[in-house]
Amino acid sequence: MTTKQPSLVFEGVWKRFRKGQLHDSLRDLIPATFRRMTGREPKRPADDRYFWAVRDLSFDVKPGDVLGIIGGNGAGKSTTLKILNRIMEPSAGIVKVNGTIGALIEVSAGFHPDLTGRQNIFLQGAIMGMRKAEVMRKFDEIVDFSGIPEFIDTPVKRYSSGMNARLGFAIAAHLEPDILIIDEVLSVGDARFQQKAFARIKQMASAGAPVVLVSHQLDRISELCTKAILLERGEVRATGSPLNCINAYLHGMSGRGQGTGEPSVEFQRVLASDGQVVRSGEEVTITVAGTASLDNPPPGWVPALCVVDQRTGRNVHSISGLQRDIPLPVEGEFEYEIVLQMNVPPGTYHVMPFVWDSLKRQDIMTGPRLQIEVLERSPFYGDVQMNSRWRAIKLGARTSVSPDTKRQTA
Amino acid sequence: MTATTPLGAGRAATPTPRAPRPSIVQIVGEIWESRDLVVQFVLRDLTLRYTQAVMGFAWALLMPILIVGAGMMFRVVLATLANSPLEGSSIASLAAKALPWAFFSGALSQATSSVIGNSNLISKVYFPREVLPLSTVIAQSPDLVVGLVVVASVMPFIDKTGLSWSGLWVIAVLLLLMLFTVGCALFLSCANLFFRDVKYIVQVLLNFGVFATPVFFEPQMLGPKGASIMMVLPLSPFIQAMDVALVHGHSLAETIVVASRKGDVVVWAPWMLAYAAGWSLFLIITGIYVFRSGSSRFAEMA
Repeated sequence: MTTKQPSLVFEGVWKRFRKGQLHDSLRDLIPATFRRMTGREPKRPADDRYFWAVRDLSFDVKPGDVLGIIGGNGAGKSTTLKILNRIMEPSAGIVKVNGTIGALIEVSAGFHPDLTGRQNIFLQGAIMGMRKAEVMRKFDEIVDFSGIPEFIDTPVKRYSSGMNARLGFAIAAHLEPDILIIDEVLSVGDARFQQKAFARIKQMASAGAPVVLVSHQLDRISELCTKAILLERGEVRATGSPLNCINAYLHGMSGRGQGTGEPSVEFQRVLASDGQVVRSGEEVTITVAGTASLDNPPPGWVPALCVVDQRTGRNVHSISGLQRDIPLPVEGEFEYEIVLQMNVPPGTYHVMPFVWDSLKRQDIMTGPRLQIEVLERSPFYGDVQMNSRWRAIKLGARTSVSPDTKRQTA
Repeated sequence: MTATTPLGAGRAATPTPRAPRPSIVQIVGEIWESRDLVVQFVLRDLTLRYTQAVMGFAWALLMPILIVGAGMMFRVVLATLANSPLEGSSIASLAAKALPWAFFSGALSQATSSVIGNSNLISKVYFPREVLPLSTVIAQSPDLVVGLVVVASVMPFIDKTGLSWSGLWVIAVLLLLMLFTVGCALFLSCANLFFRDVKYIVQVLLNFGVFATPVFFEPQMLGPKGASIMMVLPLSPFIQAMDVALVHGHSLAETIVVASRKGDVVVWAPWMLAYAAGWSLFLIITGIYVFRSGSSRFAEMA
């Protein structure tokens, strides 16, 4: 037992990787070294040979903390996790770890296809740092959690990928580390198992041990985390409350190509003329106004608008002037009106105008965001409000009468 | 993009603190903490090797038998050329010496690929990486034990000398050999991750090694000078000790001199054991250090 409380500290951590080709055989290395020694191959400067995946990252996680790390692809999340998990060493800076680390990452990495489920539980358990006695004690629980007791003596190579992942998660879910690291393992198995897995993660995360969670699912971050870090290209963009970071992340998606003073299209106002609060399925009217100062209209550029779900960070809807025959203003003030029918579940959404380059298929300039609150109208589950209307044609001889099935008028 | 880079060229490098390297005691302690993992890896290797091979138990004897067979052919040719008869004791010697050689070459060729063969684990899960070569070497030892039992029980029938208490020296020799092999395995498995062709070089060297060490030869065949050159190779004392202690029943604390046509040859001397032990300790200690300093880059190379 450690006398000190479990904790995890990053102090100015940097990590660089080598760019380009590596010499990974003597056959390549020896001639290359010879060329360099004889000066036939100039030594490239360090900036050219390396890139920094993580730059000056500092944070600490104490008991009761659940730290969420968010960021786009290539932001440095995975590298950070690997440094956390001691798979990689930082190029500079200090990582202080007090306590044992358990990682819910790649939960079935150690499985051998020719061994049975039973044998693999012991193997994977040991790889994740469990003692044999511990695995034996928890064996029945693990098998039970995985939900595949009838296949436990079958070689893993005959498992479906879902079964494989479920068994792996079941093992990892029974770790009792001082510090817990969770990558997006939530996308494991079918919907029912995912729910079970998430419930388990929630339970582990709220047990009081320090937790680091990396996820693209922003709603998971906001639900579980007590604090967060937003990474962008290896650098910390924002820290603090999860909502702050999520907002900064969503905003960061809109930050490109602004304020340079170059010829541009500038969105100055984005308004909802009838208010920013609507009910699911209702319409909202958005006004976008601004000025354009483009010398000549670039081919393929069109005005566009997207709607992002704050909970998940997903782009739930985008539309461009291309489909509506609205051209891009080139010179002077402009104003659009866009009517959106918010056929989405209740929640917070961000509406964002931008200029879309339909030839290069990328966004060029983006405007301010407008937050829209969608309230519940008639309860439903799923991603889309379909405004369903039901009519009973025939209901058999008898119908059930229970509080759940009270008829609702849609 | 202007970010200060602590290790970047041109800029005055800000002194960035780094965690101190762990000492050898800490590393060994960490490996000991992972003993359950070693056991699981060994079990995995053994289960796969013995449940899949139809021959099972006989598999363990196949390599030593092949080596003895090759040695026999070699010796028969030598004996025919020299016009001298082949003695029963030389078959026993061949068998006894084939065991450590089969273990060493089998373990080393497996262990060289042990890190790269688990690259999916290396890049995903943390555990002391030393466990990989270590458990691969350990997984080869049951073959050695089986071979030893077979040789010890067959030997009284092909050799007049039979077993003596000196045979117990073999245990010390084999434990040292284990250490020696793990030391080599640490170096080679690490090197093979950085240079993928190391395993081919190892294979070639192992093919040569059977002639450079006293597996097929008796040292006295080479004369005084040749014998001492051969015994300088760190692996030779292990192999020679098997012959001296197991087959000829001498204590390894004795010095044994055999007359040859070119003069007296020291076939065994106590310093040889000390020499082998010295190499074993040296290799295991430097091996642990080198492996550990390389292992910080394993995940990037794998």
